[in-house]
Amino acid sequence: MKRTFAILVIAMLATGAFAQTGDTIKIGGIWTLADITGKQGSMAAQQAIEEINKAGGVLGRKLELIVVDDEGKADKGAAAVEKLMTVDNVELLMGGMASGVELGKIPTFKKYGKVVVSTGAASYKVEEALGADSSWYFHLHPWDYNQGASYVEGWDAIQKQYPKIKIKKIFLAYEEGAFGKSSWDATKTLFGTGGRYVVDGASFKSAALGGGDYASVLEAAKSFKPDLFLWAGYDADALPMLEQAKAMKFSPSIYLGAPPGWPIGFGTSKLSEKVMLYGMWAPTMNDTNAASKAFYKGFVAKYKEEPATYFAPLSYSAVYIIADAIKLAGTTETAALIKALEATKYASPLGETISFSKSNIIAHQGIRRQKILQWQSGRQEVIWPFEAKTATPVYPFPAWK
Amino acid sequence: MAMKRRTTILVVLGLAAAFLVALWKPTVLIYGVQQAGLYAAIAIPMGLVLGIVHIVNLAHGEFMMVAAYATYFACRATGLDPLLAVLPSAAVTALLGWVVYKLTIRRALKAPELNQLILTFGIGILLSQGVNLLFTSQTRKISLEYVSASMTIGELSFGVWPFVFVIVATAMAVGLKLFLTRTTTGKAALAVGQNPRGAAIVGIDVDRTYGLVFALAMALVGGMGALFLTRSAIFPGVGGPFTMKSFCLVAMAGIGNIPGILGASLLLGLSESFLRAFRELRGWADIIFFVLIIVVILGRSLKGRKS
Repeated sequence: MKRTFAILVIAMLATGAFAQTGDTIKIGGIWTLADITGKQGSMAAQQAIEEINKAGGVLGRKLELIVVDDEGKADKGAAAVEKLMTVDNVELLMGGMASGVELGKIPTFKKYGKVVVSTGAASYKVEEALGADSSWYFHLHPWDYNQGASYVEGWDAIQKQYPKIKIKKIFLAYEEGAFGKSSWDATKTLFGTGGRYVVDGASFKSAALGGGDYASVLEAAKSFKPDLFLWAGYDADALPMLEQAKAMKFSPSIYLGAPPGWPIGFGTSKLSEKVMLYGMWAPTMNDTNAASKAFYKGFVAKYKEEPATYFAPLSYSAVYIIADAIKLAGTTETAALIKALEATKYASPLGETISFSKSNIIAHQGIRRQKILQWQSGRQEVIWPFEAKTATPVYPFPAWK
Repeated sequence: MAMKRRTTILVVLGLAAAFLVALWKPTVLIYGVQQAGLYAAIAIPMGLVLGIVHIVNLAHGEFMMVAAYATYFACRATGLDPLLAVLPSAAVTALLGWVVYKLTIRRALKAPELNQLILTFGIGILLSQGVNLLFTSQTRKISLEYVSASMTIGELSFGVWPFVFVIVATAMAVGLKLFLTRTTTGKAALAVGQNPRGAAIVGIDVDRTYGLVFALAMALVGGMGALFLTRSAIFPGVGGPFTMKSFCLVAMAGIGNIPGILGASLLLGLSESFLRAFRELRGWADIIFFVLIIVVILGRSLKGRKS
């Protein structure tokens, strides 16, 4: 009896040892797969996983990405975390885009306390919900207030570098939802204080949410005569709003859009020329950044399509950051992994070296700046930060003919 | 007689209000009418189906979305202008409508209304999710020069292209009126709509008539899909909000009252445009839609009780 028990114990220990060295390191990825940001984010993450595995994996083990669709819903997001933690037994989590979904996931994140490398969720409300004791949460995407501050910094720098660009009056057309309203709050606070800029704004109902009539908001903007016209909405608004602006003969000196993504073929429209935008990455960065070029070439070769938004290189970066941290920690144990992630210095395809430091509330904030870009000859060119610049800004936005 | 007088008074009051609004802020009138045209052009085919086939097609907007996608890819492949694709798109959607009717709708006509709603709701999900799977959720738009055509009067510049929806909606209403009252098929459709059993007794093929009407409505929606592409970006969920808006406009107008849809759309378009003229009230533009429908239906039921 004793002998049988001893054999059983040895067998179990052997199996355990084998599991430690021979099986895969499971990473749970949660995205909204019906959305291009989530779909391509998961594709880019898988691309990175395959590249790392091809190069020998991590700690002698292969990485495995298990993707769950949150369907853009908070409850599905929470269920996805639960499933990944209990059914798939993943070692850590990544992904995310919409703040509303992330808010739904946070209680389940807290329940398990595993490392999360988040690629989305810009709203400060997510940070408030996480609290200061969420040391396991590594937020790659800038918070909304980081983005706002970087825009102020960017426009100040651009005006200094190119004295003919002068901005005094800013008008923000913002979609009626949470995204637009938080953009409006941030713009008012960041640009409106101190009296350097005069800020005005009005809301519109995005075509993505059943709207699509921009006449009244453009009329308000036109009467304000802004130097910088900025709209915060979705890709569905991009071309129809430009067409309506042209019909109303509204041509501010700077016409700038801040949607999470742009519609397919936007750059091929004549109207897109000289439109400015906020973003984190563009294929033009391949000319100046080797990491961007490697990511882009790999993505196109694997999927036969272009990465359409910056969420693809962001997710790609997240996997490499995780892999580097596991290597450094020598384990996937949470405390060691957190320590290793804190030492991150990853030269990303996004044109900057990512490391983590404290933000307003949480301890681990990654990227803090967005970029200012401009559509020139159908390509998104980076005009700020100057260290990632791919072209000089063309100013002013041409008057409609 | 009293009814006619009341209608005349309402029309005169409406025109006076429109005149005053035009004096105060002409763009309110212009954009309100343009928006009303779009609403009406999409809602009228639903009114036709509801009035004759007596089914609420909750996949209405999704049919338009599918037509817009078909037009988009046809135009991308051939370089065709979406305007030239209106008729082919209408033909394709009519065929799709006929097939959907034969395979599904006709089997649910005698079923409880809830089953019909679930059926068309399911068809709508199938269409939008199918498009999502095939083409992703990324938005698509064909950039066209003529949609930015504008008119300038003094200081005021506004787009004139959206007036095409006003023309289309009016043409649809007039065309359907003529079809239903002047053609044999139209008269048969009216008869079937009013009393299917009686129509069957006098030898009208009720099932065929339902199929034809459903296909005709889908043809109109298909044509609108091509036209919609000139104005808006498309994505799998683009049709959903128009289904709900169309249903409510049809309900406001009264079942089977196609000219009434024009009036209801005008009321909604102008009300929305009026509220959007005030920045503080802009958020109420969506709510006015519900307020109007509640007022109209409440008014109608009170009137019915009185009579």
